[in-house]
Amino acid sequence: MDIPNKPSAPVFEPADTATDLNSQLTGLLHLVAAGDQQAFAEFYRLTSRRVFGMAKRVLIDPDLSEDATQEVFIQVWQGAAKFDRAAGSPLAWLMTIAHRRAIDRVRAVQSATDREAKYGAASLDPDRDLVAEEADSNLEAEAVSRCLATLTDTQRESVRLAYYGGLTYREVAEHLGAAVPTIKSRIRDGLLRLKTCLGVG
Amino acid sequence: MFANDIATDLAEGRVLELAEIYALDAVSDEERAIIDDFVKTAPEGPEFHERVRQARETLAAGFAPEEEPPAGLFDNILDRIAKDAPAAPASAPETPAVAGPAVDELAAARAKREERRSGGARRWIVGAAAAAAIAIGGIGVGSYVSAQNDPVNQVLQAQDVQKQSAAVPGGGTATISASSAKDSFVVLMDGVAPAPEGKVYQLWTLPKDGSAPVPQGTMDAQTLSKPAVVKGLSSASSVAITVEPAGGSKAPTTAPVLVVALSA
Repeated sequence: MDIPNKPSAPVFEPADTATDLNSQLTGLLHLVAAGDQQAFAEFYRLTSRRVFGMAKRVLIDPDLSEDATQEVFIQVWQGAAKFDRAAGSPLAWLMTIAHRRAIDRVRAVQSATDREAKYGAASLDPDRDLVAEEADSNLEAEAVSRCLATLTDTQRESVRLAYYGGLTYREVAEHLGAAVPTIKSRIRDGLLRLKTCLGVG
Repeated sequence: MFANDIATDLAEGRVLELAEIYALDAVSDEERAIIDDFVKTAPEGPEFHERVRQARETLAAGFAPEEEPPAGLFDNILDRIAKDAPAAPASAPETPAVAGPAVDELAAARAKREERRSGGARRWIVGAAAAAAIAIGGIGVGSYVSAQNDPVNQVLQAQDVQKQSAAVPGGGTATISASSAKDSFVVLMDGVAPAPEGKVYQLWTLPKDGSAPVPQGTMDAQTLSKPAVVKGLSSASSVAITVEPAGGSKAPTTAPVLVVALSA
């Protein structure tokens, strides 16, 4: 399907691709809220790689990831009317749901030790963090990559252990043998640094 | 400097500093509940939520691994949706999309009638009407572009939109999103049980000049959870909801189940 408003030339501002996608998703969510299955299919087409990617990254197991993805989209279908653009972008809304589902699952089925071990296996390939959207997002991916590089190694490690490993800050501290307050600071500072670099306002 | 536990952080005034950890889901369920509870009444509440929002936008942009889901997954999702009671209104999968707009056209016709009668600019549109009507013609490009311009979105995305929620007796909430710039507000009922058999909810505005309540349309089981746009914010002091016989009434016949003052 053609996407209107698609910039004809690459735009340097990394946020633009995401902004475009978000306005598209906002419109679709309003249709989904009215029970429009075709809009729902389009919403799925545009976002399922991200949702499944998140589930897989956290849960590792393909079947669990599939289940979690299914639950996320059912929640989208049922909860689209609750989406509030003022409270965040559709992508952030969706990924918050997706992450929460994956985390709930992983905490229910795996001990913290298992998660740490699995996180270790999953974290070997840092490029998998990156947004690798279709053709036109190379600039965006570059920006994200550049911004992730502005975090210290320990900040990045703590954020990823928590986000992908499903660990609480306390578990991250135990895993790394670091003080709890230190880990809290690393997570906060890492995210704030990334936010500033990405220009999230 | 953070403390070892969340309770101490909160007690020592570091609620805002917890926003990133909270947004990352790096807290236990118990800790999440403690934080939720705290920000409900804390003066920093709005600032906390804003910081959480920004953290979530950051995460969505910065940590987005992608992987192609299995091919049959979407069909499985549709199957599940068809089996479960569909939560979206006018969306029972076995019902063609035509059902929604048919209802909406009635509402629109009623709105025109009321507009003529009141002589004012007030208008009632069942929220998704415009979008749903376009959606029939097929998906695509036009449909979401129009959705962005539909009356609901115009209010919800207005710069000056102000929201307030009220608990509906018997369960659920009504959220009013008002925009002075658009001179309109959107009513969205969430988790509210349909009115008893043969009855509907009816929405009214209470004019500032103290004159009789102005009917702003009805909500049956089909339309209950759709957002509804009401124009004429500036002349209304409150919005009220009553239970009326199917089809609605010209004047309220029962005491309101809910009255929400409009601040604008």
